[in-house]
Amino acid sequence: MIDSALQLLLDFDARVQREASQSAEFLHRRDRRFALTCTERDVPVDARAWLDHLDRLSGDGARASRGVQVARQWRRIAAGFGIAGGLFGVITMLGLLVYEGGQRINVTVLMAFVLLQLLLALLTTLQASLGWQPWRPLLARFQKQLPTRVLRQMQPLLMARAAHLGGLCFSVAALITLLVALVIQDLAFGWSTTLSAAPTGFTRLTASLAWPWRGLWPAAVPDLSLVEATRFYRTGAGMSDVPPSRWGDWWPFIMMLWLTYVVLPRGILLAVAQGHIVLRARRALHAHPGWRALQYRMETPTLDTGNGHNDAEDTPGEFHGAAPRLLPQASVVVYWGGVAADSLPAATRERVRLTCSAGGRATLESDRQTLQQIADTLSDSNGRDNDVLLVTRGWEPPTGELQDFLEAAQSLWPSRARLTVVPVSHDSAVPVPKHQLTQWLRLQERFPAGFVSVALIDPFPANAAESEPDA
Amino acid sequence: MPEVPVFAVVGHPNKGKSSVVATLSQNDAIAIALEPGTTRKRHRYPLSVDGEVLYVLEDTPGFQRPRRALEWLEAHSASATDRAETVAAFVSEHRDDARFTDECELLAPLVEGAGIIYVVDGSVPYSPEDEIEMTILRWTGRPSLALINSIGPDDYSDAWKAALGQFFQVVRRFDAVRAPFAQHLSLLRAFGQLEPAWEAPLERAVRFLSEQRHSRQVQAARLIADALIDMMTYREQSTLTETQLAQGEDGVVEERLRRRWYEHQRQREQALRRDIEQLYQHRHLRRQEAALEWHSDHDLFSEDSRRAWGVSRRYLATAGFGAGAIGGVGLDALTLGSSFGFGALAGGIVGGTGAYLFGDRFTLPAMQWGPLRDGLKTATFGPVQDSQFGYVVLGRAVDHWWHISHRNHAGRDLLDLPPASDHWLESLDARSRRTLQRGLDSCRRKGRLDGRLRADVEAVVTAALAIYDRRQNGQGST
Repeated sequence: MIDSALQLLLDFDARVQREASQSAEFLHRRDRRFALTCTERDVPVDARAWLDHLDRLSGDGARASRGVQVARQWRRIAAGFGIAGGLFGVITMLGLLVYEGGQRINVTVLMAFVLLQLLLALLTTLQASLGWQPWRPLLARFQKQLPTRVLRQMQPLLMARAAHLGGLCFSVAALITLLVALVIQDLAFGWSTTLSAAPTGFTRLTASLAWPWRGLWPAAVPDLSLVEATRFYRTGAGMSDVPPSRWGDWWPFIMMLWLTYVVLPRGILLAVAQGHIVLRARRALHAHPGWRALQYRMETPTLDTGNGHNDAEDTPGEFHGAAPRLLPQASVVVYWGGVAADSLPAATRERVRLTCSAGGRATLESDRQTLQQIADTLSDSNGRDNDVLLVTRGWEPPTGELQDFLEAAQSLWPSRARLTVVPVSHDSAVPVPKHQLTQWLRLQERFPAGFVSVALIDPFPANAAESEPDA
Repeated sequence: MPEVPVFAVVGHPNKGKSSVVATLSQNDAIAIALEPGTTRKRHRYPLSVDGEVLYVLEDTPGFQRPRRALEWLEAHSASATDRAETVAAFVSEHRDDARFTDECELLAPLVEGAGIIYVVDGSVPYSPEDEIEMTILRWTGRPSLALINSIGPDDYSDAWKAALGQFFQVVRRFDAVRAPFAQHLSLLRAFGQLEPAWEAPLERAVRFLSEQRHSRQVQAARLIADALIDMMTYREQSTLTETQLAQGEDGVVEERLRRRWYEHQRQREQALRRDIEQLYQHRHLRRQEAALEWHSDHDLFSEDSRRAWGVSRRYLATAGFGAGAIGGVGLDALTLGSSFGFGALAGGIVGGTGAYLFGDRFTLPAMQWGPLRDGLKTATFGPVQDSQFGYVVLGRAVDHWWHISHRNHAGRDLLDLPPASDHWLESLDARSRRTLQRGLDSCRRKGRLDGRLRADVEAVVTAALAIYDRRQNGQGST
């Protein structure tokens, strides 16, 4: 369960890191689809299911789970702590029970050692809670890759778990060593202190320590007579009148002391550390920015506006073709698409012999007649009049109908005829803008050279005369 | 009739049909040019929610030979009752006729049951010649709506409205480049009014688009807050050996770190801008910005930027007082109230005075040298020691967000980001100001921002976006 919660967190974190470069739209579509499928199948939508789903999609050969790698690494570390703890436990207890016959095993020393173990266990938990990692540089030496931010948050708890496991192995191994020593050796316990402590005071201390088990095992609570009888001094005075078996009567107290204040706290704190890891891993998962983002993606409908289509490059390129010419003098003028007859300068209109309209609301038959009429006029002029002006709205694009009209004119009119398209602006004070002019120049290029050209009316009266000589 | 509403956007060539589609489909990759004939084939832009299509917009080429087409239709129709069939017959007969490619592409969706969105340019004069196109469209018998989209500066929309009203059920003005988002939604609702069966899907589409816009704003606030914190806490580090120090390379290292730090901050700001643009689906945007060069007028680090986006000394003093007081409350709590609020007062005074005295200086990070250890010395440049820098980053980011979130996808002009002229952040409420100041202080002092305060700063940025939006819209409407 612990490894599962941790693995889930680390796998989730690794997946989020891996997908950082994916487009938001893709992730949204994918995860929303997953959520909808889960809802349809009445399956809970959670991080585990999401990861399993993605792993299934990736198929065999997907990269090894980051969570499994880390969990395995920490299992190895914990196992190392456990083995080392067990060995140290045996050695330590053997050291504490060293008894060479002349001296007693001092219960006071054992009690102090138990207190030290208890303090160390509490310190380990405190350190994990505060997130202090004094051992991190050491750990960094053995880690193949730098820990992620999420793993760095979890490391104090993982280390506390490993330390508590080591402590538990230490205490259990020490307890077993004590029991074995009790069986195979004749151990003599006593108590001694330099301080002028009275046996009654020491009895109160041991009774207080034995409070947890006094109802369960009364024999493991030392009485005043035992305490009085087993006090010893370095000089050895007063030890001869105590029966030898009396020195061994301390063992139930020693064993229960060790069990209650060393083994049990370590076991409890190990369980707490494990629970803490599960809790922290779950909390870290729910606080993970990726989880919030995933929840948003799963809960929010995907909205696709069909904006995948891209033809931005299909626009016409910069026009580098011919420039418009100056307005020529012509004897024929065609007003195309409803252009007003006064669109041309008066000077130009004065010399016109034939004015007609085409396009717009005129019928196609009317256009055909107009074309024929112009052809006749040009033929009658015997080559003197070759220019035809076609005045059109500059802001309206050249449509297929105009193209048809010009093609028909080209085939019907004498070959010497020249047609000049004159785009005009809807505001005579404003010249035709460049982008409107370009569409007419492109039209010019669609015809054989010489037949169609484009000219502009100079909107400034001062320059109007200058446009005349070209005629 | 198709199950999903389809709207064919039709009209004369080069009148902004593609612009309308680009804005409504949030696609800035649709070819839009000032010259005609850019759209040669019809293209569908479906709006789908979780894969379910709610409506389809169809961009079409413009009419090329409307007179010829109408002549054919009139010649083949016996009465008003067979007009729709005659149009279908026209499309069927001329499908492979090169002369009528555009007409067929344009009329085919209408024959298949699409609604008509007829687009005209309201900036050029109305002409009765356009009625030929309108007549053909009326022959299809499809529900219709006309849009007056003004491309140029002139306005002939009244004349257009009067004429279009005779041919179309609904006539609306819609500036594809400048229309605010609310108008997009209003237009979609109008589409839904064309047919009773279209109302529900269009209403749903409007709801989802509104929700998407709201969630984009929240996401934008998160992106901006992340970038702000990143930039406020960023530091550049380099380690020198004793030999390098003896050779006097510390000056070179300082200059290198300084350059890298500035460059990183500019790149981070650019990355934020790209993220915001992606969020709003502006993928082909070109920005008009002063190049982020040292001492350029609109540079992130310029005095000009500080004046435009920084906050006043009074603002800093009040925000600093609040932030300091919150810190001082900790002292009061430790003494279980025995300090009678002195901690809060002292903290406030210290915070406020410090902010007032030093707040208007644009002091960027100073170089820090670590102790010599194992023959190595670490040089650190950053994090920035000036809260004003945070306000400049925030101001520039919020301004950029506002321009992006209000930019229509039909816009093809460069995005110009001129500096603003007032300290808009002063519209934030006092609590948000304090939170922001505390966040910036935490970045400056600790070089990081913790979970809860980070979330609080994110909430303040969300509020800042709303304030800036209201302020800009208020200015726009006056």
